[in-house]
Amino acid sequence: MSLTIKNISFIAVIILLFLILWGTGYLAGGPEGYTGFGESADISPDDEEITFVYAHKGESAIYTAPVSGGNAELVTKADEGNYLLNPTFSPDGEKIAYVEQWETEEEHPLGKLMLLNRANGEVKELTDEEGLVTEAAFSPDGQSLYFLKAGVYTNYSPIASEQPHDFDIHRIDLNTEEIEQITDEAAYDMSDLDSTPDGEALMYRSYDGGDQLVFYNLEDGYETTVTPIGDFATGVPMIYSPVLSSDGNYIAFSDVARTSENGTYIYEGYRMDLESKQAEQITSFGEHVTKPVFFNHQDKLIVTVDKAFATSEPDYSYWVINADGEGRERIQIEIP
Amino acid sequence: MNRIEKYVEEVLIQMQSTECEREEIREELLSHLHEAKSDYISEGLSEKQAEKKVIAAFGESNRIGQELQESMYPFQRGLLYLIGICTIVFGVLFYLHLSFVIHEPSPVWLVVQLLSGTIVTLAAINISIVGRYFYLLNALLLINIIWNGINIVSMQGLSQWQAILFSAYLLILVGMGFVFVFRNSYYSTSRIDGKHQKQGLVKFSYIMNLLYGVIVIILSLFFLWSFLFFGGIGIDAFITLIPILIWLIFYKFQMNFIAKKPALSLATGLLVSVAALVLAFIILRFSNGG
Repeated sequence: MSLTIKNISFIAVIILLFLILWGTGYLAGGPEGYTGFGESADISPDDEEITFVYAHKGESAIYTAPVSGGNAELVTKADEGNYLLNPTFSPDGEKIAYVEQWETEEEHPLGKLMLLNRANGEVKELTDEEGLVTEAAFSPDGQSLYFLKAGVYTNYSPIASEQPHDFDIHRIDLNTEEIEQITDEAAYDMSDLDSTPDGEALMYRSYDGGDQLVFYNLEDGYETTVTPIGDFATGVPMIYSPVLSSDGNYIAFSDVARTSENGTYIYEGYRMDLESKQAEQITSFGEHVTKPVFFNHQDKLIVTVDKAFATSEPDYSYWVINADGEGRERIQIEIP
Repeated sequence: MNRIEKYVEEVLIQMQSTECEREEIREELLSHLHEAKSDYISEGLSEKQAEKKVIAAFGESNRIGQELQESMYPFQRGLLYLIGICTIVFGVLFYLHLSFVIHEPSPVWLVVQLLSGTIVTLAAINISIVGRYFYLLNALLLINIIWNGINIVSMQGLSQWQAILFSAYLLILVGMGFVFVFRNSYYSTSRIDGKHQKQGLVKFSYIMNLLYGVIVIILSLFFLWSFLFFGGIGIDAFITLIPILIWLIFYKFQMNFIAKKPALSLATGLLVSVAALVLAFIILRFSNGG
C-alpha cells in the first residue's frame, strides 16, 4: 500500500469514527435535567402537611404531602425552564409563598416572589422580573411577606465563583402589594430569613469574617448578632440554614460535625437554646443534613438529608426527627 | 530511476533519518546492491535478471526499511503509533462515557481529542517525512501531552472511581509521551554531534530540561484549573498557558544548545522556565488590576 493511500484511508477511518460517535452521542440525548426532591421543605401550621419542590427531568413543581408520608399532591408548576425554591406556608396554611428563578442569556439567575392561593389555585407574581429574589418569610399575622433580594450577581474576587451579593431585606404588604425596603446594607451574604413569633424582629444568617446569626429589630433597626457555642469540627461554627422554633426559644441549623475520610465536611443538625447559646447535635445521619424546620405543636423537626453531597447531582430525602436526637423516620412520598 | 534505486527509496521511506544520514545510507545501500548486481552479471545473468535477483536476495523493501529504522531508532515509531492510537481510543471511551453516563456529550472535545491522536498517528505513518524534523516531532508530542494533561485536570470533577481510572490511563499516556520526547531529543543530539564522551551529560541535561518543562506544564495547568474552578471560562484563564508556549518555543533552540553546551543549557533552561512563569504571573496581576 502506498503512503498516500495509507494516509487517506487512516484519515477516512477517523472521520467515520467521529461521525459514528457523534451520532451515538446525539442519540443518547443531552442532559436530562434533575429529577428528585428539592432542598427545602416547610411544615403546615397544623403539623399535618409538608410542602416541597420536586423536579422531573428538570421540570420543577411544588407539591404537598402528609407528614406521615403517602401520596403527594401537585400544587403548581414552574414555567418551562424555570425552577422553584423555598416554598413556605402562610400562618393560616391557606397560602404558599415560593420563589421562581430562571437564567438570563448571560447565565445569571433572576428570581421573583410568587404567592399561591391553595383554595382556588391562583398564583400571583409579587415582584417584577428584574431582580433576584432568593427566599421569603411570612410575618406572624400573615399580612405581609419579608423577602431577600440580591443587588448583583458577580464574583468580587477573580478566584471566587459568581454568586448573588448586595442583599437587602424587603417587605411586601399582601393587601396593598406595596413593597418597601427594610434594610440598606447591600450585604455580601444574607440568607435564611425568619420572623420571630412576636413579629418584632427578623432573624437571618450573614457572613462577616465568619458565619453569624443576626436579629434585626423591626422597630428601631437595631441589630444583635448571635454566635452559637458548640462542638463543631471546624472550631468556629459554619452555620447553614438556621431556623427559629415556633416559640422562638430555639434555633436549629446544620453545621460541620466531622470530616469524612475523603475530606468532605459532614453536616449534622444542631439545636441551640437562644438563652444559653449552647448548641447540641441532634442528628447522626453521617450524611449531609440540611434545612431543619420545627414542628409547630410537637417537639419534632423535619430535616433534609442529601445522600449525594459534593457530587454533580444531589439526592435529597425528608426525615422527621425528635428534638432530643432520639429516633428518626423518613417521610415516604409517592409522586403522582 | 532503475529498479535498484527505486528499491532503495522504498527502504528509506520507512526511516526517520535526517537528509544527511539518509544520503549516507542511500550511498551505502546502492554501492552494496550494485556490487552484488555486478557479481550476478559476471555469472552470466542479464542486467534485468541480475537486478531482480539482487532485490529478491536482499529482502522485501518495507521490512528492510522497518528493520533499519528499529536498529537506529529502536521503538520510536512503535511508541508513536501507541501514543496516537491510545489517544484516539481514549477519545472513543470517554466520549461514550460522556454520552451514556454523564449525558453531556461534547463533540468539540471529541474533535480535539481525535485530532490530537490522529496527528501523532499520521506522524508515525509518515515517519520518513516528519521524523527528520526532530523539533517538529517533539512539539507535536508535547502538544499531545499538554492536551492529555488538561484532560487529567478535568477528570477531577468525576466521581472517585471514574476519576482514578481515567486519570491512570491518561497518566500512562502522558508518561509514554515524555519517554518519546526524551529519546527523540537524545537521538537528535547524536545526529548533530558525534562526540561520545559528553553523551552522559547530554542525556542528563535533556532529562533536566524536560523536567523544567514538566514543572512549567504542571504549574500552568494548576493555575488554569484554579481559574476554571473559581472563575469559569474566560480569556484570562488562557494567560496561564503562556509559560508552556514560551518553554515550547524556547525548546527549539534549547535542543541545539543542549547538544553543544549541555552544562550551560541546564542554567538557560531553568532561567527561561522561571522567567516564563514570572511573566505570566505579572500579566495576570495587571489584567486583574493588581
